[in-house]
Amino acid sequence: MAETQVLEKKVATPISFGKKERALITDPLNDNNPITVQVLGICSALAVTTGMKNAAVMAVAVVFVCVGSNVITSALRKAIPSQVRMIVQLVIIATLVTVVELTLKAYAFESYKQLSVFIGLIITNCIVMGRLEAFAMANRPYESALDGLGNGIGYGIILLIVAFFRELLGKGELFGMKLIGAGDIYAINTETSDIFGWYVSNGLMVQFPSAMFVIAVLIWAHRAWNPKLVDIS
Amino acid sequence: MHSTRSIVIFVLIMTTVVSLLLAFLSSAWAQRSKDNALLYAKKATLGAVSQHLDMDYASINNDQVDDIFSNQVEQKVLRMDGTELTKEEVEALGYAGGQAENVDILKEMKKPESERVLPLFIYKKKSGDKFYILSATGKGLWDVIWGCVAVESDLRTLAGVSFDHKAETPGLGAEIKDNKTWVKQFTGTKIYDEQGNYTSVYVRKGGAKDPDYEVDGISGATITANGVSEMLKRGLKYYEPYLKSI
Amino acid sequence: MGELANIFIKSAFIENLALAYFLGMCSFLAVSKSVKTAFGLGLAVIFVLGITMPINWMIETYLLSENGVFSTDLTFLRFILFIAVIASMVQLVEMVVEKMSPALYNSLGIFLPLITVNCAILGGSLFMVSKEYNFGESVAFGLGGGFGWFVAIVAIAAIREKIKYSNVPPAMRGLGMAFLLTGMMGMAFMGLMGIDFVNF
Repeated sequence: MAETQVLEKKVATPISFGKKERALITDPLNDNNPITVQVLGICSALAVTTGMKNAAVMAVAVVFVCVGSNVITSALRKAIPSQVRMIVQLVIIATLVTVVELTLKAYAFESYKQLSVFIGLIITNCIVMGRLEAFAMANRPYESALDGLGNGIGYGIILLIVAFFRELLGKGELFGMKLIGAGDIYAINTETSDIFGWYVSNGLMVQFPSAMFVIAVLIWAHRAWNPKLVDIS
Repeated sequence: MHSTRSIVIFVLIMTTVVSLLLAFLSSAWAQRSKDNALLYAKKATLGAVSQHLDMDYASINNDQVDDIFSNQVEQKVLRMDGTELTKEEVEALGYAGGQAENVDILKEMKKPESERVLPLFIYKKKSGDKFYILSATGKGLWDVIWGCVAVESDLRTLAGVSFDHKAETPGLGAEIKDNKTWVKQFTGTKIYDEQGNYTSVYVRKGGAKDPDYEVDGISGATITANGVSEMLKRGLKYYEPYLKSI
Repeated sequence: MGELANIFIKSAFIENLALAYFLGMCSFLAVSKSVKTAFGLGLAVIFVLGITMPINWMIETYLLSENGVFSTDLTFLRFILFIAVIASMVQLVEMVVEKMSPALYNSLGIFLPLITVNCAILGGSLFMVSKEYNFGESVAFGLGGGFGWFVAIVAIAAIREKIKYSNVPPAMRGLGMAFLLTGMMGMAFMGLMGIDFVNF
């Protein structure tokens, strides 16, 4: 009984953008970051971060799926039978991911080709599923949208940071622009430059393991800066 | 708690809505994505003659690609013995459209060698120069690789190549597509020696020894590079009966 | 047969789902704190991959592809059907195991629900489609991929058990070290890349 009262009270609060709503967005950016704190959705973070462009497309796709599935699930939360809850959530996510795939196929074919199976893997990106289960099933669509947005962005930022280091150090490029490397197609040509003559791109950075190292260093930096996240166990 | 009946109704409604929505989107955009795929392949084909186009390849747009294909490119589909297939025969193989651009070279790769068909594109420059664009498929490190090779009208010298791959490592194996400086090395190499013996072009690890028949390897991507060598050696030979007949 | 063995070994060691593609990382990092639980999860992954892969292969070939029973291209339903198959198979396996072998259920049971959202399962099916395997190959790929994942998670759990007693900088404890270790194991597995057992 007490619970329903609380629920009714919640529904009665007007839609606003105050401190609580802001926290829904900012919290996942720092204290509750999906990747460096909650360790969710790592798979796609590793595979698509070899270039900024792919990472950006992936980040936008995840934000879309996150917000979309949060809103839909939250709108249907009273109608969804609890026995088939998981599969209904999965179907909602899978539908949105298919929409993303079809859109890319029709309007951004290059990206579609490069991301290939990893678009499909957004479905099993635990962030999306995790937010549905933890937040959208118990909150209004408006709050759920903000929550999805926050988590999607928190995920996307890490993706872009990792991609920045991997593309710059591994290929000497950013967003496909040639910045530093051997040959005159690069802005800084290491063959002729006096200052950067020593520089060689590190091929390991574009390989899968280096994504692990970059995220490990990110976690280190994040926890050193925000000591309350340190794993005490 | 929901009753079994309401669950079944909910699931039925949901699946209907979802599949109708996706079916609608998919069919609305089907033509678009098909065109995209075809255009992607056409652009890759023109990539082999990128240095001989009348415009800058890097900034070429979709209409220009279509325009070049309809006005300056002649398409042929060949059997392994060098004879040409008619449009109907190609369509009978399951390639709607019946042109060389419709042939799926990756599908052909799975057939026994003698039954394969080969797409051939003849690009005519406005100045009258002719380029024969051949296709080849092979294996890289992770998955298949394929490419187009343009041969000049002496039927011996390469005018350029463009490669693509399914899943090579970005920055290493994927350089066969992305590294334009490496790809440019193929321009001017020869697939037949002075006596007319077939030599193909070899990707040599550590640096080309004979710039007429070899190009430099890619550091860190030896297996993909070997795959390219093998693909060219086997794949270009398929066209020999046709090239000998003209 | 040699071809199938090749695919099994290749997917288990060279194209290891966990250490070469880094799939299923969420549970890989979360459940690798002790060898015992890692062992259970690993077994469950082999089990589910081995079952869902052939089923998804049949769905792809007979229902979704243009040559299937509906003779239309239904591949836009691929994601939904694959994930539905995985989710329902996991549930079915859970129920069957519970009935048939309570002992096995006790060791596997708690991991089964986790597996639905394990990217290695869906990723395996999507890779199978993209590699255009036939039925036998997809079974070999499923079992091999599962075995590779199993080996990887047990190995990392063993290392993490040992490293508990090391003096690690506070900010790197736990998660940070797990990432570094996985990266290093991935580098080790990179050494196997390109081995082809057909020409062995």
